[in-house]
Amino acid sequence: MVCDMNFSELLSRVVQDTVGNNPFGDLSGVLSGKQPTFMDGSLLMFLPELIVVGTILALLFVRLLDLDKVISGQSVALLGATVALLVAVVQFLAIKNLDPSTSGVVLPKTMFTGLLVYDAFTVFFKVFLLLFLQLVVYLTQLTGLPDRDDAPDFYTLLFGSTLGMLLMISSNNLLMVFLGIEMTSVPSYAMVGFLKGRRTSSEAAFKYVVYGAGAAGVMLYGISLMAGLLGTASFPEMAARLNLVIGSGPLKLDATLLTLLLSIVMILVGIAFKLSIFPFHFWGPDAFEGAATEVAGFLSVASKGAAFALLIRVLLALVGIDQAPSGVMTPVFFYLGIAISVLAAVTATFGNLAAYSQNNIKRLLAYSTIAHAGYMLMAVGAMMVLLNASKHVPDPAARWELAIRAIEGLLFYLWVYMFMNLGAFAVAALIRNELFSEDITDFGGLWTQAPVLSFTMACCMFSLIGMPPFGGFTGKFMVFSSLFQAGHYHWAMWGVLAVAGINTVFSLFYYVRVLKFMFIAPAKDGARRVRVPAWSAAWFFVLSLAVLVLLTGMWGAAPLSATAHEVAAALFP
Amino acid sequence: MDPQTLQTTGLTLKWLLTIAWLLPLLGFVVELIGGGWVWGRYSKNAAYLSVMCIVTGFVCSFIALMTWGNATEWSALKDHGATHGTSHAEPSRHASGVDAHGAPKPAAEAAHGHDDHAKPVAKDAAHPAHDDHAKPAAAVHVAADHAHGTPHHAAPKVVFTGIFYRLAQFGSLDISLSYYIDSLTLVMFTMVTFIASCIHIFAIGYMSEELTDNYADHQVHTSHGHLHRPGRFHRFFSFLSLFCFSMLGLVLAGNIFQVFIFWELVGVCSYFLIGFYTERKSASNAANKAFIMNRVGDFGFLIGLMIVWTWFGNFQFGDLPAHGQTQPGLFSMVRGNDGQMKLHVPESGQAEVVFKNQDNHIQTKPNGEQRTIPYWLLVAAGLGVFGGCIGKSAQFPLQTWLPDAMEGPTPVSALVHSATMVAAGVYLVGRFYPMFTPEVLLVIAYIGAITLFLAATIAVVATDIKKVLAYSTISQLGYMMLGLGLGGWAAGLFHLITHAFFKSLMFLASGSVIYGCHHVQEMPQMGGLRRKMPLTAYTMLVGVIAIAGLAIPYVTLPGGEPIAFSGYHSKDAIVATALTYMNLNGHHLLFFLPLAGAGITAFYMFRLWFYTFAGEPRDKEVYERAHESPWVMVGPLVVLSFFAAFCAFGGEKGLLFKLLLDSEPASVPGGYVAQTEYLSQGLLNLKLPSHEAIHAKHDRAGTLALIMAFVGAGCAYLVYGVRWVNAAEIKQQFSGIHRFLVNKWGFDEFYDMLFVKPTHVVAGWCSAIDRVIFDGFLHASAKAAVKVSDWDRQFDETIVDGAVNTVGNWTFAIGRSLSVVQTGRMRNYVMFIAVGLLGIFALLIMFFPN
Repeated sequence: MVCDMNFSELLSRVVQDTVGNNPFGDLSGVLSGKQPTFMDGSLLMFLPELIVVGTILALLFVRLLDLDKVISGQSVALLGATVALLVAVVQFLAIKNLDPSTSGVVLPKTMFTGLLVYDAFTVFFKVFLLLFLQLVVYLTQLTGLPDRDDAPDFYTLLFGSTLGMLLMISSNNLLMVFLGIEMTSVPSYAMVGFLKGRRTSSEAAFKYVVYGAGAAGVMLYGISLMAGLLGTASFPEMAARLNLVIGSGPLKLDATLLTLLLSIVMILVGIAFKLSIFPFHFWGPDAFEGAATEVAGFLSVASKGAAFALLIRVLLALVGIDQAPSGVMTPVFFYLGIAISVLAAVTATFGNLAAYSQNNIKRLLAYSTIAHAGYMLMAVGAMMVLLNASKHVPDPAARWELAIRAIEGLLFYLWVYMFMNLGAFAVAALIRNELFSEDITDFGGLWTQAPVLSFTMACCMFSLIGMPPFGGFTGKFMVFSSLFQAGHYHWAMWGVLAVAGINTVFSLFYYVRVLKFMFIAPAKDGARRVRVPAWSAAWFFVLSLAVLVLLTGMWGAAPLSATAHEVAAALFP
Repeated sequence: MDPQTLQTTGLTLKWLLTIAWLLPLLGFVVELIGGGWVWGRYSKNAAYLSVMCIVTGFVCSFIALMTWGNATEWSALKDHGATHGTSHAEPSRHASGVDAHGAPKPAAEAAHGHDDHAKPVAKDAAHPAHDDHAKPAAAVHVAADHAHGTPHHAAPKVVFTGIFYRLAQFGSLDISLSYYIDSLTLVMFTMVTFIASCIHIFAIGYMSEELTDNYADHQVHTSHGHLHRPGRFHRFFSFLSLFCFSMLGLVLAGNIFQVFIFWELVGVCSYFLIGFYTERKSASNAANKAFIMNRVGDFGFLIGLMIVWTWFGNFQFGDLPAHGQTQPGLFSMVRGNDGQMKLHVPESGQAEVVFKNQDNHIQTKPNGEQRTIPYWLLVAAGLGVFGGCIGKSAQFPLQTWLPDAMEGPTPVSALVHSATMVAAGVYLVGRFYPMFTPEVLLVIAYIGAITLFLAATIAVVATDIKKVLAYSTISQLGYMMLGLGLGGWAAGLFHLITHAFFKSLMFLASGSVIYGCHHVQEMPQMGGLRRKMPLTAYTMLVGVIAIAGLAIPYVTLPGGEPIAFSGYHSKDAIVATALTYMNLNGHHLLFFLPLAGAGITAFYMFRLWFYTFAGEPRDKEVYERAHESPWVMVGPLVVLSFFAAFCAFGGEKGLLFKLLLDSEPASVPGGYVAQTEYLSQGLLNLKLPSHEAIHAKHDRAGTLALIMAFVGAGCAYLVYGVRWVNAAEIKQQFSGIHRFLVNKWGFDEFYDMLFVKPTHVVAGWCSAIDRVIFDGFLHASAKAAVKVSDWDRQFDETIVDGAVNTVGNWTFAIGRSLSVVQTGRMRNYVMFIAVGLLGIFALLIMFFPN
């Protein structure tokens, strides 16, 4: 911050930063990339978030003014989510078509005096989160999770949590990291406990709160250590400061470095809590089992996606993308990348093995979520290794390209994961509505009763296993190929790859076990029958998810990965 | 014809013939798909569809013929003799008179009319003694002149050729679907589609017994009596359609490779159709025999193709535009545009044929050398391709398959074995004619002569009505080959067309007899049938007179042509060619065999007719049950009998002959030209007769043949008509010869001894070796493998499975124990945060790289 200016100047600068010079432009200009409307003024760049906030307010007002007889909370939520998604899509298209030479806009741009950052990565995740939000809102309407009275409360929490995630993905400051995580977490705690009458639900919420508080404490401690050490909390300055603090001499494990490492680990623990990485995953299965299936689905995808975005932002801030290969910390980060990968391997193994003996579908999917977080974390580890392999690849551009591939794989994986995991949770929720059971041993004979549900479940399960031609295979393949690439620079990465491969085999067992019950086992005597009429909304919803899972593995794979590549490349301007 | 008309005519012809060609394919596909499943076994739809396709094809072909005629202003039919003398000396290709020498002229005029005109080509051919008059310069000039002077001269010979679709290209070699349309193509198309139409219609009646779910085949005996099987009406017609498609494709083909493809397709179709009654052992054997014998011939064909590919690098018949210039076709390469091969004898002494291009210039390689092919290789290529024709047209020594092929239903015999498939061989000889050297032609002639005599003699003793016709077919095919081989190009193909009409007529009539007599085929059980089936009998009689070549002596039509049915004209032309050839070259057999054949033909054909239709019935039972066939069968007979009688009306001045003459290769009309540079007489100095020379001999040959025919027919009448001489006695007297003939000259036994038996012996050895050595080894190794796999199984069950199960149990146990960590206790969880953090940090420090 420049300090030699008076208050009014500062004020006008802030106002300009917030409102922008040209807040109103026509849409076609925006889309063609000639008019940088969405890149001008923080408020416009923040428009999807503002719409989410507006929806929250509208929901509260609906409740307050007793308007929910006229317009239901569900409709307001769906409308808000859809509009926000549309705006985010327009923003994404605008960024994609942006022509820096004519518009004069250079990305990334910062928002709100540097606290948030606005670039293709941000907007990509905005689309991801808001699409997922919209799908979840639609799913909850199909399954009727919140009744008419509860709807405004539930959606307020849902939207609030999403708002926190939107902040996470655009964080440009350690402070925003903490704020975003907390803002995501607090509404989630309440959502987990939303089934008020149920003891398990309350217990799960309580555990989640306490665990979250603990993790937040650790993270906050880490953040203060880091900020204190570096004298800044702003991402763009961290890497330079880091090199300054460590000095240029030979790297040795002195007090400064130890403190730094501790602070990094502590910050990562906070994020690992959100990602449910071993050994910070304990809240997961309990919370998922206690929460409603829809909420579990939401937490399993959205908070993971946001946390991965945040993790990448934090790590890239530490490594510093504009630093020459002379970074003193490079070997440390290389090592850190391996450590992350090993942790990922342990997590995946743990998740898969623990899922073996689960009979509750939500608990099973909770462990599956942990395993998949492990797979995805491997991509992050590979990215760190590739980015810091300056000993083997001296050309920074080449390293970036490799790192971009790793991030591309992660992004692809996240999109596929969104569809396949939501599909699995949606089917579980729809079955629960009919069977009143979440026990997979009760799923016998579903194939004959609800073929489309079973088909979707099969698609999702095979995709989760990582079988071609489903999207899960492509995603896993991309992550694994990055791991393989990283293995050229350190053997441990090949070890991780091997473990990941074995894990894929392990996972076959429990995923297919679900299908075994659905397709082969006969229905239990006297069990209720599941009915999902053809061409009903629910039928259509699950079927389109199955199609999406297939599509991302087939024709959709190329465009999606190309987009992911572009977005990942935008992180390295 | 101006280029514009030429182009539109070409396009019209191309599409009309393409439609006629592809419609049967469409029919085949629809019938195949629709037949069994959609229409059911009682439906005649397949027949109607296939008739519709082929009739439409006929209409298209006929329109094409008319279009072609109109576009050329029927110049092919004009009698150029009238304008003959007027502008004769002018060498220009457009001079109307120049072409006259190639055009057919009445024999009388030919005899005297030419000497006063400076007509070197014709003159030299007719009078070799005058060779010394032809100076080299003049020779070249005349030769060029002659080329333009082929019969159609107002416009030079009109050929439409082009490419439908290029499959692949290897260097200069094109593998493509192309077309080559001249009057021969058009006449063949019209003939094939017309006869096929008649046969299709006939078959609706003949095959109607197949319209059932339970067809009883009385010739197949199973343990429960006769074989009963579902009818195959639609299958029959779909094969017929496929067959027509293949045959038409063969005729339309514009390159020799495409001919080969359709050649094989024709072979496959005949295999399907001959073996139509698959359950009959004899039928399936016959199908195999036909197929295998044809493969023997096709082996030669393939060799020919290889030589052509290697040396010419080109399969196209005609000249095609390529890469902005005209790529000369095979015919132009060998014969240029004047029809003469150019010989080059290098110092090594091996004669070579120089490649020319379409304007008669010599082709050179990039290094300036002439492109050539050794003469003997060209002979080999010609013999190879002719080998294929031997197989397909059932010539000696591969003739044995055709009589056996009578196992197919009679319409098949009519279609496949009289008018079309066997015609393919003759057609190909005609089409590929420019590529044949005089030596090859001599071989063709001898093969033809031997075949015609051999088959005719066997036909005399055959008693199965269809077998007689089969041998007669072989014999007539021999005539055609002979005609072609002797240089009577148009005569051979003329006989092909006329024979197609009267032979299909006779096959269908015999089919009608068989149908009417409830599948009795042996003539000794027949007799007197003309009272039961008059229409069949008298239409058959038309065919018999036609094939025997009878005419009314001393009475002529106003044009000077005798009054006779088609067979007379065409056979006459061949015999006349043979006589001329003999006078030029010797080779007396080539004349006397066909002459004798003419007599024998008349004898066995009338024998057949008298046996079947005349006299008293020999088998009362058969006679009582016999009846005339329905109109759907007799109708085609009547139509065909009309054409059998009159299709060659006018003889060599008639429409059909002139149409064919229009396509005659440039080298033929002039016959032998004596120049050193050119090579019409080949290395053996064989002199091919010119049109002029043949005309000169025409009357004499015709008279001789007619006498022979009357003798033959008379004998038949005496023996079988009035039964003046007892046939059985003659048989007794000449029992040796009779047995020899009944055994078909022992060819089957001979081949059996020469090929089949040795094959069996060798096969026996092989199977013994197989059984003892290989099987022994195999069994031993199989036993060993079983032993090993036993051990392997033990290993698998105890060690591998054990390991897998153990690992599985372990992982499951670990999984269980891992979820034990998930205690659900709050304080444990919070503690794990701290423990986890510290643990990770400690590990990180511990493994920190220095």
